[in-house]
Amino acid sequence: MADQDLVVETVRDILSGHEPFVLTPARRWDEGLWSALAEAGLTGVGLPEEAGGSGGELADAVAIVRTLASGAAAVPVAEQLLVAGPAVIAAGLILPPIEEPLTFGIADPVTATSSGDGWTLTGTAADVSWAGVAAHVALLVTGPDGAALALLPTSGLPVSGAFNLAGEPRGSLTLEATPAAVAPLTEGQARELRAGFALARAVQLGAALEQVLAWTVQYAGERHQFGRPLGKFQAIQMELAEMAGEVVAVTALTDAAVQALAHGSADVVLAAAAAKVRAGAAVEVVARLAHQVHGAIGFTQEHKLHHLTRRLWSWRDEAGSELVWSRVLASGLLADGPDGLWPALTRVV
Amino acid sequence: MSNSLVLAPAPRSDAAERVRAEVREFLADELAAGTFTTHVDTWLSGVDPSFSRKLGERGWLGMTWPKEYGGHERSAMERYAVTEELLAAGAPVAAHWIADRQSGPNLLTYGTEKQRQEILPRIVRGECYFVIGMSEPDSGSDLASIRTKAVRNGDGDWVVNGAKVWTSNAHESHYGIVLVRTSPSDPSNRHAGMSQLLIDLSLPGITVNPIRILDGGHHFNEVVFDDVVVPGDMLLGEEGNGWHQVTAELAFERSGPERFLSTYPLIAEFGRRVVDSGDPAQLAVLGRLSARVLALRQMSLRIAAALDRGELPNIPAALVKDVGTTFEADVIEEVRRVADVMPSLDSPDPLARALAEAQLHQPGFTLRGGTNEILRGIVARGLGLR
Repeated sequence: MADQDLVVETVRDILSGHEPFVLTPARRWDEGLWSALAEAGLTGVGLPEEAGGSGGELADAVAIVRTLASGAAAVPVAEQLLVAGPAVIAAGLILPPIEEPLTFGIADPVTATSSGDGWTLTGTAADVSWAGVAAHVALLVTGPDGAALALLPTSGLPVSGAFNLAGEPRGSLTLEATPAAVAPLTEGQARELRAGFALARAVQLGAALEQVLAWTVQYAGERHQFGRPLGKFQAIQMELAEMAGEVVAVTALTDAAVQALAHGSADVVLAAAAAKVRAGAAVEVVARLAHQVHGAIGFTQEHKLHHLTRRLWSWRDEAGSELVWSRVLASGLLADGPDGLWPALTRVV
Repeated sequence: MSNSLVLAPAPRSDAAERVRAEVREFLADELAAGTFTTHVDTWLSGVDPSFSRKLGERGWLGMTWPKEYGGHERSAMERYAVTEELLAAGAPVAAHWIADRQSGPNLLTYGTEKQRQEILPRIVRGECYFVIGMSEPDSGSDLASIRTKAVRNGDGDWVVNGAKVWTSNAHESHYGIVLVRTSPSDPSNRHAGMSQLLIDLSLPGITVNPIRILDGGHHFNEVVFDDVVVPGDMLLGEEGNGWHQVTAELAFERSGPERFLSTYPLIAEFGRRVVDSGDPAQLAVLGRLSARVLALRQMSLRIAAALDRGELPNIPAALVKDVGTTFEADVIEEVRRVADVMPSLDSPDPLARALAEAQLHQPGFTLRGGTNEILRGIVARGLGLR
């Protein structure tokens, strides 16, 4: 990971001037942080320069997303760098300027219709990340011959004000014969796009879980009770070790799934499914124990812990919950019958 | 996170995938020929010397060791692939398991040239089996409190008195690497004064008493040493360095796929049930279990890759074993929540049998090789808390 040290340092420098804050309907994202990241070209990393991106590897984009996730940064960078940006380029659509936030939504109920001189969209796209904040949205919609990717600007679209548990915008966009650029997708491409979204959330979860562990270890070293630091009590050590086990498991599997994506593995959907399931499952343990060790102060908005735990509780259900992806994973692993289960487990990552 | 817990990702190994395919073909042939039947936790309970010799003939024992001692100079990644295939198939690997995993590498590091020349080629052929002599009746997790004593006699030989317990398959094994006290205990340095002896289990004065586990199986033993005279040249490594040597063994003992695949045959049978039933709740549980297996494989592979780099990652190994053995036990409850199965060792239903075997072996998973409480203490040290 040493190759990404420089980009991580750059993002950390920018983040240090933008502390996370409590998101409210009036203050739904960190526009200043976005501008600083965009100015540094970081909102186009991993996207090829010839398509309007900043160039760089997938690993660089992942490092940026991880750093921002551990800083509870309220910007649509994961969507832009890991999901919508690559999908738009792969589908042959024109990438919007990287300074203008581009988000992603899964919107099967939205239909795309060709009307001679172009495409229009009709229906409601629900649970769209950063709805009302992002300037552009890429949607996975239903076209005349199956799945399609639609790209459209969001200005002027009616947006409902829904938010996740961390206050991040997750509203609905109402589309009524709304013009959009549309490209058809194969079933496989659509599956990989859903999986890519899940993997992006798994990457964010992994980074946030790691940061929550680090905060908790640090707090246990600083907070004294009964005349010694909390971290000297065996009961607390057992809890922190259990958290560490979850975090290491998530990191190992998420890294492997990112590798599968980078190498164009045929099993990338199952790898992403597994990463999302494992990361989601770790949230219960890590968030519960982090709050337990932090005690009452961690249960207040005064302390920073909630910036990440509320995101963890949200992200685990976004882009497909553990229930959804565990079924996809098991079905895929059993595709060659029950005797194919073990060979599949040793092949996926 | 603390660097002592994080290892670099394992590179994909083509050589490992090639040997994996060979092992898979071998296992399919053996299963078809009926030379073994699949069971849970076979690295404890599946003693079959003829099967061990077959593995030896194929070059799948002592894989990473130097050729001058009969080894095959292959990578830890290749050995990992072989061992995980054998475990997933529930093959009878217990006879040679400890010798191949741990005692051989220990001899390579600390053994004399004579010991290596005599013993390692026999392990490689699948003919020589080892036990670990660490725990005692009064010393479990607190290993530094052992009382088994070795004293030099006038001929320079060691006279050993004491008892070791949980010695897996001592009644089928040839040697033990036994941790003994060679100097009186020193309250100011509890880890001083211990040494490892390489003891031929056929020596006069050694008694092996069976200790039966919950399903009635005889795998564990108490090995009693009553004035056993061990030749002076059977000291392993340095006198007084026993604690350090034991600690070094643990990266091998704690990180392998046997720390999360002991109940894999139960998952495999559950997979059959899921295909038959098509039940979405069962499908989801299989997916969750599979995601945990996939994560544990990556964690364990990272350790194999670290061993190939010449590292001895004791703290990550403790963490893998904690997470992995917790998983092995969780499999039972996860399956029970969604499949209505009555566990029974003599049921005609293979899922019922696998569940019964897993249940009756389950308490051992999080005890053997260091309890999970001890392991979490080591992880806490890795987090900088101790």
